[in-house]
Amino acid sequence: MPNVTIDPTGEVIWLEPEETVLSGLFRAGFAYTVGCRRGGCAICKVDCLAGTFGYNRRVAESVLSADERTDGTCLSCRAVPQTDVTIRLREGDLRMVNPYLRQINERARQRAEALAAAQPASGVTSKE
Amino acid sequence: MGVMRMGYAHVRVTDLAEAKAHYANTMGLYETHAEDGRVYYKGWDEWDHHSVVLEEGGVGVVKFGWKVRYSSDLDEIERRAQAFGVTVERMSRGENPEIGDGIRFTTPSEHVFEVYHEATLIGTEVGTHNPDAFPRHLVGVGVPGLDHALITAEDVKGMERFLTEVFDFYATERVQTSLEDDADYIGTWMTSNNQIHQLAVIGGPQGKLHHFAFKLGDWSEVGHAADLFSMDDVPIDVGPTRHGITRGQTVYFFDPSGNRNEVFAGGYLAYPDRPVHVWTPEQLGKGIFYHARELNDRFTTVLT
Ligand code: FES
Ligand SMILES: [Fe+2]
Repeated sequence: MPNVTIDPTGEVIWLEPEETVLSGLFRAGFAYTVGCRRGGCAICKVDCLAGTFGYNRRVAESVLSADERTDGTCLSCRAVPQTDVTIRLREGDLRMVNPYLRQINERARQRAEALAAAQPASGVTSKE
Repeated sequence: MGVMRMGYAHVRVTDLAEAKAHYANTMGLYETHAEDGRVYYKGWDEWDHHSVVLEEGGVGVVKFGWKVRYSSDLDEIERRAQAFGVTVERMSRGENPEIGDGIRFTTPSEHVFEVYHEATLIGTEVGTHNPDAFPRHLVGVGVPGLDHALITAEDVKGMERFLTEVFDFYATERVQTSLEDDADYIGTWMTSNNQIHQLAVIGGPQGKLHHFAFKLGDWSEVGHAADLFSMDDVPIDVGPTRHGITRGQTVYFFDPSGNRNEVFAGGYLAYPDRPVHVWTPEQLGKGIFYHARELNDRFTTVLT
Protein backbone atom coordinates (compact mmCIF):
# COMPACT_ATOMS: atom_id res chain seq x y z
CA MET A 1 0.00 0.00 0.00
CA PRO A 2 2.52 2.57 -1.15
CA ASN A 3 2.27 6.30 -1.00
CA VAL A 4 3.02 8.47 -3.97
CA THR A 5 4.58 11.82 -3.14
CA ILE A 6 4.34 14.44 -5.81
CA ASP A 7 7.40 16.61 -6.22
CA PRO A 8 7.59 19.52 -5.73
CA THR A 9 4.18 20.20 -4.16
CA GLY A 10 4.57 17.46 -1.54
CA GLU A 11 1.07 16.12 -2.06
CA VAL A 12 0.89 12.54 -0.80
CA ILE A 13 -1.46 10.05 -2.43
CA TRP A 14 -2.30 6.67 -1.00
CA LEU A 15 -2.56 3.75 -3.44
CA GLU A 16 -4.50 0.54 -3.18
CA PRO A 17 -2.43 -2.63 -3.49
CA GLU A 18 -1.53 -3.27 -7.14
CA GLU A 19 -2.93 0.10 -8.15
CA THR A 20 -1.19 2.08 -10.87
CA VAL A 21 0.14 5.57 -10.28
CA LEU A 22 -2.35 7.02 -12.76
CA SER A 23 -5.29 5.22 -11.24
CA GLY A 24 -4.26 6.34 -7.75
CA LEU A 25 -3.95 9.98 -8.67
CA PHE A 26 -7.29 10.04 -10.46
CA ARG A 27 -8.91 8.15 -7.60
CA ALA A 28 -7.56 10.80 -5.25
CA GLY A 29 -9.23 13.53 -7.28
CA PHE A 30 -6.36 14.71 -9.45
CA ALA A 31 -5.99 14.83 -13.19
CA TYR A 32 -3.03 15.33 -15.48
CA THR A 33 -2.14 14.71 -19.09
CA VAL A 34 -3.12 11.21 -20.11
CA GLY A 35 -4.10 9.58 -23.36
CA CYS A 36 -5.04 5.96 -23.88
CA ARG A 37 -4.70 4.92 -20.19
CA ARG A 38 -3.68 1.53 -21.54
CA GLY A 39 0.07 1.77 -22.00
CA GLY A 40 0.06 2.48 -25.73
CA CYS A 41 0.65 6.16 -26.34
CA ALA A 42 3.48 7.17 -23.97
CA ILE A 43 1.82 10.47 -23.06
CA CYS A 44 1.47 9.73 -19.35
CA LYS A 45 5.18 9.47 -18.51
CA VAL A 46 6.33 10.94 -15.22
CA ASP A 47 9.72 10.78 -13.56
CA CYS A 48 10.28 8.62 -10.52
CA LEU A 49 12.73 10.38 -8.20
CA ALA A 50 12.69 7.87 -5.35
CA GLY A 51 11.35 4.41 -4.68
CA THR A 52 10.76 1.44 -6.97
CA PHE A 53 7.91 0.34 -9.16
CA GLY A 54 7.10 -2.36 -11.69
CA TYR A 55 4.77 -2.67 -14.65
CA ASN A 56 1.55 -4.63 -14.46
CA ARG A 57 1.61 -5.39 -18.21
CA ARG A 58 4.21 -5.79 -20.91
CA VAL A 59 5.05 -2.34 -22.25
CA ALA A 60 5.80 -1.95 -25.97
CA GLU A 61 9.32 -1.00 -27.08
CA SER A 62 7.85 1.88 -29.06
CA VAL A 63 6.38 3.29 -25.85
CA LEU A 64 9.34 2.85 -23.50
CA SER A 65 12.90 2.67 -24.81
CA ALA A 66 15.63 0.57 -23.21
CA ASP A 67 17.12 3.70 -21.62
CA GLU A 68 13.79 4.77 -20.24
CA ARG A 69 13.42 1.44 -18.51
CA THR A 70 16.32 2.29 -16.23
CA ASP A 71 16.42 6.09 -15.97
CA GLY A 72 13.44 6.53 -13.69
CA THR A 73 10.93 7.14 -16.48
CA CYS A 74 7.61 5.92 -15.18
CA LEU A 75 4.75 5.12 -17.57
CA SER A 76 2.17 6.06 -15.01
CA CYS A 77 -0.85 4.23 -16.42
CA ARG A 78 0.97 0.89 -16.13
CA ALA A 79 3.37 1.56 -13.23
CA VAL A 80 2.62 -0.12 -9.92
CA PRO A 81 4.83 1.13 -7.05
CA GLN A 82 6.59 -1.53 -4.98
CA THR A 83 7.68 0.96 -2.33
CA ASP A 84 6.70 4.50 -1.54
CA VAL A 85 7.64 6.57 -4.55
CA THR A 86 8.24 10.21 -5.30
CA ILE A 87 7.26 11.34 -8.76
CA ARG A 88 7.58 14.54 -10.69
CA LEU A 89 5.09 15.34 -13.42
CA ARG A 90 6.67 16.37 -16.67
CA GLU A 91 4.43 19.18 -17.74
CA GLY A 92 3.88 20.32 -14.18
CA ASP A 93 0.18 20.17 -14.84
CA LEU A 94 -1.30 18.29 -11.95
CA ARG A 95 -4.89 19.48 -11.75
CA MET A 96 -7.23 19.06 -8.81
CA VAL A 97 -10.57 18.18 -10.33
CA ASN A 98 -12.36 16.54 -7.42
CA PRO A 99 -11.48 17.75 -3.90
CA TYR A 100 -13.88 15.25 -2.28
CA LEU A 101 -11.86 12.35 -3.65
CA ARG A 102 -8.75 14.09 -2.37
CA GLN A 103 -10.17 14.20 1.15
CA ILE A 104 -11.20 10.55 1.01
CA ASN A 105 -7.75 9.52 -0.14
CA GLU A 106 -6.06 11.59 2.55
CA ARG A 107 -8.15 9.93 5.25
CA ALA A 108 -7.38 6.48 3.80
CA ARG A 109 -3.68 7.25 3.87
CA GLN A 110 -3.83 8.37 7.49
CA ARG A 111 -5.76 5.24 8.45
CA ALA A 112 -3.21 3.05 6.69
CA GLU A 113 -0.35 4.79 8.45
CA ALA A 114 -2.00 4.50 11.83
CA LEU A 115 -2.54 0.81 11.17
CA ALA A 116 1.06 0.31 10.12
CA ALA A 117 2.29 2.11 13.26
CA ALA A 118 0.15 -0.16 15.44
CA GLN A 119 1.58 -3.34 13.85
CA PRO A 120 5.30 -2.65 13.54
CA ALA A 121 7.73 -4.49 11.26
CA SER A 122 5.37 -6.89 9.51
CA GLY A 123 7.69 -6.63 6.53
CA VAL A 124 6.59 -5.37 3.16
CA THR A 125 7.14 -7.78 0.30
CA SER A 126 7.54 -6.14 -3.02
CA LYS A 127 5.54 -7.48 -5.89
CA GLU A 128 7.18 -8.21 -9.22
CA MET B 1 -9.36 -0.03 -61.96
CA GLY B 2 -10.13 -0.15 -58.42
CA VAL B 3 -9.44 -0.47 -54.79
CA MET B 4 -12.84 -1.47 -53.40
CA ARG B 5 -12.14 -1.02 -49.72
CA MET B 6 -9.76 -1.34 -46.83
CA GLY B 7 -9.93 -5.10 -46.49
CA TYR B 8 -8.03 -5.50 -43.28
CA ALA B 9 -6.26 -3.63 -40.52
CA HIS B 10 -3.49 -5.68 -38.92
CA VAL B 11 -2.46 -4.22 -35.57
CA ARG B 12 -0.19 -5.04 -32.67
CA VAL B 13 -1.44 -5.58 -29.14
CA THR B 14 0.59 -5.96 -25.97
CA ASP B 15 -1.65 -8.60 -24.41
CA LEU B 16 -3.52 -10.89 -26.74
CA ALA B 17 -5.94 -12.22 -24.14
CA GLU B 18 -7.10 -8.74 -23.15
CA ALA B 19 -7.28 -7.66 -26.76
CA LYS B 20 -9.39 -10.67 -27.64
CA ALA B 21 -11.80 -9.82 -24.86
CA HIS B 22 -12.15 -6.31 -26.26
CA TYR B 23 -12.50 -7.14 -29.95
CA ALA B 24 -14.69 -10.19 -29.45
CA ASN B 25 -16.78 -9.42 -26.38
CA THR B 26 -17.05 -5.63 -26.49
CA MET B 27 -16.86 -4.98 -30.23
CA GLY B 28 -18.61 -8.23 -31.13
CA LEU B 29 -16.26 -9.35 -33.90
CA TYR B 30 -16.29 -12.99 -34.96
CA GLU B 31 -13.03 -14.90 -34.61
CA THR B 32 -12.32 -16.76 -37.84
CA HIS B 33 -8.79 -18.02 -37.32
CA ALA B 34 -5.88 -18.04 -34.87
CA GLU B 35 -2.23 -19.02 -35.32
CA ASP B 36 1.12 -18.17 -33.71
CA GLY B 37 0.21 -15.13 -31.67
CA ARG B 38 -2.28 -13.81 -34.23
CA VAL B 39 -6.04 -13.76 -34.18
CA TYR B 40 -8.25 -13.02 -37.18
CA TYR B 41 -11.70 -11.45 -37.02
CA LYS B 42 -14.56 -10.32 -39.17
CA GLY B 43 -17.69 -8.32 -38.49
CA TRP B 44 -21.09 -9.90 -38.90
CA ASP B 45 -21.87 -8.15 -42.18
CA GLU B 46 -18.51 -8.87 -43.78
CA TRP B 47 -18.11 -11.79 -46.16
CA ASP B 48 -14.36 -12.11 -46.60
CA HIS B 49 -12.33 -14.20 -44.19
CA HIS B 50 -11.10 -11.38 -41.96
CA SER B 51 -10.94 -7.62 -41.59
CA VAL B 52 -9.02 -7.26 -38.33
CA VAL B 53 -5.83 -9.07 -37.35
CA LEU B 54 -4.36 -8.81 -33.87
CA GLU B 55 -0.70 -9.68 -33.41
CA GLU B 56 0.83 -10.03 -29.97
CA GLY B 57 3.80 -7.78 -29.21
CA GLY B 58 3.92 -3.99 -29.25
CA VAL B 59 1.30 -1.49 -30.30
CA GLY B 60 0.35 0.30 -33.51
CA VAL B 61 -0.30 -0.86 -37.03
CA VAL B 62 1.55 -3.66 -38.81
CA LYS B 63 -0.13 -3.16 -42.17
CA PHE B 64 -3.32 -2.45 -44.03
CA GLY B 65 -4.83 -4.68 -46.71
CA TRP B 66 -6.67 -3.25 -49.70
CA LYS B 67 -8.93 -5.37 -51.85
CA VAL B 68 -9.12 -4.63 -55.56
CA ARG B 69 -11.91 -5.57 -57.92
CA TYR B 70 -9.94 -7.20 -60.73
CA SER B 71 -6.74 -9.19 -60.64
CA SER B 72 -5.42 -6.89 -63.37
CA ASP B 73 -5.68 -4.06 -60.86
CA LEU B 74 -2.72 -5.59 -59.05
CA ASP B 75 -0.49 -5.12 -62.10
CA GLU B 76 -1.78 -1.62 -62.65
CA ILE B 77 -1.18 -0.58 -59.03
CA GLU B 78 2.24 -2.19 -59.05
CA ARG B 79 3.12 -0.22 -62.19
CA ARG B 80 1.80 3.03 -60.73
CA ALA B 81 3.58 2.55 -57.40
CA GLN B 82 6.85 1.87 -59.20
CA ALA B 83 6.30 4.95 -61.35
CA PHE B 84 5.88 6.90 -58.14
CA GLY B 85 9.24 5.59 -57.01
CA VAL B 86 8.12 3.02 -54.49
CA THR B 87 9.62 -0.47 -54.30
CA VAL B 88 6.94 -3.12 -54.74
CA GLU B 89 7.24 -6.77 -53.81
CA ARG B 90 5.00 -9.65 -54.79
CA MET B 91 3.12 -11.39 -52.04
CA SER B 92 1.92 -14.92 -52.55
CA ARG B 93 -1.22 -16.73 -51.54
CA GLY B 94 -1.11 -17.84 -47.96
CA GLU B 95 1.41 -15.30 -46.68
CA ASN B 96 -1.68 -13.97 -44.98
CA PRO B 97 -4.05 -16.82 -44.14
CA GLU B 98 -6.95 -17.04 -46.61
CA ILE B 99 -5.69 -14.09 -48.67
CA GLY B 100 -4.60 -14.55 -52.29
CA ASP B 101 -1.65 -13.33 -54.31
CA GLY B 102 -0.94 -9.64 -54.25
CA ILE B 103 1.61 -6.93 -53.85
CA ARG B 104 3.19 -5.23 -50.87
CA PHE B 105 4.92 -1.89 -50.53
CA THR B 106 5.78 0.73 -47.95
CA THR B 107 4.09 4.07 -48.56
CA PRO B 108 5.89 7.42 -48.42
CA SER B 109 4.29 7.73 -44.95
CA GLU B 110 6.10 4.49 -43.95
CA HIS B 111 2.99 2.38 -43.61
CA VAL B 112 2.92 -1.11 -45.09
CA PHE B 113 0.14 -1.68 -47.61
CA GLU B 114 -0.84 -5.01 -49.10
CA VAL B 115 -3.08 -5.14 -52.13
CA TYR B 116 -4.92 -8.32 -53.02
CA HIS B 117 -7.77 -9.53 -55.13
CA GLU B 118 -8.91 -12.75 -53.50
CA ALA B 119 -9.89 -13.69 -49.99
CA THR B 120 -11.67 -16.80 -48.80
CA LEU B 121 -15.37 -16.13 -48.82
CA ILE B 122 -16.98 -16.99 -45.50
CA GLY B 123 -20.21 -15.09 -46.00
CA THR B 124 -22.05 -12.70 -43.73
CA GLU B 125 -23.77 -13.91 -40.59
CA VAL B 126 -27.17 -13.45 -42.24
CA GLY B 127 -26.28 -15.14 -45.51
CA THR B 128 -27.59 -14.19 -48.93
CA HIS B 129 -30.78 -16.25 -49.15
CA ASN B 130 -33.73 -14.15 -47.96
CA PRO B 131 -31.42 -12.64 -45.35
CA ASP B 132 -32.57 -11.14 -42.11
CA ALA B 133 -31.63 -7.57 -41.28
CA PHE B 134 -29.10 -8.50 -38.63
CA PRO B 135 -28.06 -11.57 -36.62
CA ARG B 136 -30.28 -12.32 -33.66
CA HIS B 137 -27.54 -12.79 -31.07
CA LEU B 138 -24.95 -10.09 -31.55
CA VAL B 139 -22.34 -9.68 -28.83
CA GLY B 140 -21.55 -6.26 -27.33
CA VAL B 141 -21.56 -3.45 -29.87
CA GLY B 142 -21.90 -6.00 -32.65
CA VAL B 143 -20.11 -3.96 -35.30
CA PRO B 144 -20.99 -5.00 -38.85
CA GLY B 145 -17.52 -4.33 -40.18
CA LEU B 146 -14.35 -2.32 -40.59
CA ASP B 147 -14.82 1.17 -42.02
CA HIS B 148 -11.68 3.30 -42.35
CA ALA B 149 -8.44 4.37 -40.71
CA LEU B 150 -6.60 7.58 -39.92
CA ILE B 151 -2.82 7.53 -40.12
CA THR B 152 -0.14 10.17 -39.64
CA ALA B 153 2.53 11.26 -42.09
CA GLU B 154 5.15 13.97 -42.24
CA ASP B 155 4.11 14.95 -45.76
CA VAL B 156 0.32 14.92 -46.05
CA LYS B 157 0.30 16.53 -49.47
CA GLY B 158 2.72 13.91 -50.71
CA MET B 159 0.53 11.12 -49.35
CA GLU B 160 -2.52 12.61 -51.04
CA ARG B 161 -0.62 12.63 -54.31
CA PHE B 162 0.52 9.06 -53.69
CA LEU B 163 -2.98 7.78 -52.96
CA THR B 164 -4.34 9.69 -55.94
CA GLU B 165 -1.75 8.43 -58.39
CA VAL B 166 -1.38 4.87 -57.13
CA PHE B 167 -4.84 3.98 -55.75
CA ASP B 168 -6.92 6.39 -57.84
CA PHE B 169 -8.34 7.77 -54.58
CA TYR B 170 -9.80 11.25 -54.46
CA ALA B 171 -10.05 13.68 -51.56
CA THR B 172 -13.48 14.45 -50.11
CA GLU B 173 -12.29 16.84 -47.41
CA ARG B 174 -9.05 18.51 -46.57
CA VAL B 175 -7.49 20.68 -43.89
CA GLN B 176 -5.21 23.26 -45.52
CA THR B 177 -2.96 25.96 -44.14
CA SER B 178 -4.88 28.45 -46.30
CA LEU B 179 -7.26 28.63 -49.23
CA GLU B 180 -4.45 29.63 -51.58
CA ASP B 181 -3.32 27.32 -54.37
CA ASP B 182 0.06 26.85 -52.76
CA ALA B 183 -1.43 25.90 -49.39
CA ASP B 184 0.11 23.04 -47.50
CA TYR B 185 -2.11 20.17 -46.35
CA ILE B 186 -2.61 19.36 -42.68
CA GLY B 187 -5.07 16.56 -43.33
CA THR B 188 -6.81 14.77 -46.18
CA TRP B 189 -9.78 12.40 -46.23
CA MET B 190 -9.74 10.05 -49.23
CA THR B 191 -11.84 7.38 -50.90
CA SER B 192 -12.24 5.43 -54.11
CA ASN B 193 -16.03 5.29 -54.14
CA ASN B 194 -19.13 6.70 -52.40
CA GLN B 195 -17.85 5.90 -48.91
CA ILE B 196 -16.95 9.25 -47.38
CA HIS B 197 -13.45 8.11 -46.48
CA GLN B 198 -11.48 4.90 -46.55
CA LEU B 199 -8.22 6.39 -45.40
CA ALA B 200 -7.44 9.76 -43.87
CA VAL B 201 -3.99 11.19 -43.30
CA ILE B 202 -3.04 13.96 -40.89
CA GLY B 203 0.29 15.57 -40.23
CA GLY B 204 2.39 13.77 -37.63
CA PRO B 205 5.16 11.22 -37.29
CA GLN B 206 5.76 8.65 -40.00
CA GLY B 207 4.25 5.20 -39.73
CA LYS B 208 1.86 5.86 -36.88
CA LEU B 209 -1.74 4.90 -36.32
CA HIS B 210 -4.24 7.48 -35.11
CA HIS B 211 -7.22 5.13 -35.18
CA PHE B 212 -9.08 2.52 -37.15
CA ALA B 213 -12.84 2.59 -37.22
CA PHE B 214 -15.80 0.27 -37.32
CA LYS B 215 -19.03 1.24 -39.01
CA LEU B 216 -22.36 1.64 -37.27
CA GLY B 217 -25.81 2.58 -38.54
CA ASP B 218 -26.80 5.80 -36.83
CA TRP B 219 -26.64 8.10 -33.79
CA SER B 220 -28.49 5.75 -31.50
CA GLU B 221 -26.12 2.90 -32.25
CA VAL B 222 -23.17 5.20 -31.56
CA GLY B 223 -24.72 6.19 -28.23
CA HIS B 224 -25.43 2.58 -27.38
CA ALA B 225 -21.82 1.68 -28.15
CA ALA B 226 -20.63 4.40 -25.76
CA ASP B 227 -22.88 2.96 -23.04
CA LEU B 228 -21.30 -0.44 -23.53
CA PHE B 229 -17.82 1.10 -23.32
CA SER B 230 -18.68 2.46 -19.89
CA MET B 231 -20.00 -0.94 -18.82
CA ASP B 232 -16.82 -2.65 -20.04
CA ASP B 233 -14.44 0.03 -18.69
CA VAL B 234 -13.19 0.91 -22.15
CA PRO B 235 -11.43 4.30 -21.98
CA ILE B 236 -13.46 6.75 -24.08
CA ASP B 237 -11.33 9.41 -25.73
CA VAL B 238 -14.10 11.57 -27.18
CA GLY B 239 -17.80 11.42 -27.83
CA PRO B 240 -20.40 10.59 -28.71
CA THR B 241 -20.12 13.59 -30.98
CA ARG B 242 -20.12 14.49 -34.65
CA HIS B 243 -17.22 15.20 -36.94
CA GLY B 244 -17.60 18.41 -38.93
CA ILE B 245 -15.36 16.71 -41.47
CA THR B 246 -17.37 13.86 -43.09
CA ARG B 247 -20.40 14.75 -40.87
CA GLY B 248 -20.03 11.31 -39.33
CA GLN B 249 -21.18 10.47 -35.80
CA THR B 250 -18.49 9.06 -33.63
CA VAL B 251 -16.97 7.77 -30.44
CA TYR B 252 -13.19 7.53 -30.11
CA PHE B 253 -11.98 4.99 -27.57
CA PHE B 254 -8.94 2.86 -26.79
CA ASP B 255 -8.37 -0.86 -26.99
CA PRO B 256 -6.62 -2.58 -24.04
CA SER B 257 -3.20 -1.87 -25.60
CA GLY B 258 -3.89 1.82 -26.15
CA ASN B 259 -4.62 1.66 -29.89
CA ARG B 260 -7.36 4.14 -30.66
CA ASN B 261 -10.55 2.71 -32.15
CA GLU B 262 -13.63 4.51 -33.42
CA VAL B 263 -17.21 3.65 -34.12
CA PHE B 264 -18.42 5.75 -37.01
CA ALA B 265 -21.92 6.24 -38.43
CA GLY B 266 -23.26 8.34 -41.25
CA GLY B 267 -21.15 10.56 -43.43
CA TYR B 268 -22.59 11.89 -46.66
CA LEU B 269 -22.16 10.18 -50.02
CA ALA B 270 -18.92 10.98 -51.73
CA TYR B 271 -18.57 11.66 -55.47
CA PRO B 272 -15.38 12.42 -57.34
CA ASP B 273 -16.93 15.48 -58.94
CA ARG B 274 -18.21 16.93 -55.66
CA PRO B 275 -16.17 20.00 -54.71
CA VAL B 276 -13.76 19.19 -51.90
CA HIS B 277 -14.68 20.54 -48.45
CA VAL B 278 -11.79 22.66 -47.26
CA TRP B 279 -11.15 23.45 -43.60
CA THR B 280 -8.68 25.99 -42.32
CA PRO B 281 -6.62 25.46 -39.16
CA GLU B 282 -8.51 27.93 -36.96
CA GLN B 283 -11.68 25.87 -37.56
CA LEU B 284 -9.99 22.49 -37.16
CA GLY B 285 -11.56 22.02 -33.71
CA LYS B 286 -15.02 22.26 -35.26
CA GLY B 287 -13.95 20.07 -38.16
CA ILE B 288 -12.87 17.24 -35.88
CA PHE B 289 -15.28 17.65 -32.96
CA TYR B 290 -18.32 19.51 -34.27
CA HIS B 291 -19.90 20.15 -30.86
CA ALA B 292 -16.97 20.90 -28.52
CA ARG B 293 -15.38 22.89 -31.38
CA GLU B 294 -11.95 22.53 -29.92
CA LEU B 295 -9.35 19.82 -30.16
CA ASN B 296 -8.38 18.08 -26.96
CA ASP B 297 -4.73 17.65 -26.05
CA ARG B 298 -4.84 14.04 -27.18
CA PHE B 299 -5.97 14.41 -30.79
CA THR B 300 -2.58 15.21 -32.28
CA THR B 301 -0.34 13.60 -29.66
CA VAL B 302 -1.85 10.25 -28.75
CA LEU B 303 -0.81 7.77 -31.43
CA THR B 304 0.41 4.19 -31.50
S1 FES C 1 -1.91 7.13 -21.09
FE1 FES C 1 -1.23 6.21 -22.97
S2 FES C 1 0.60 5.16 -22.26
FE2 FES C 1 -0.24 5.89 -20.39
FE1 LIG D 1 -12.27 8.14 -38.16
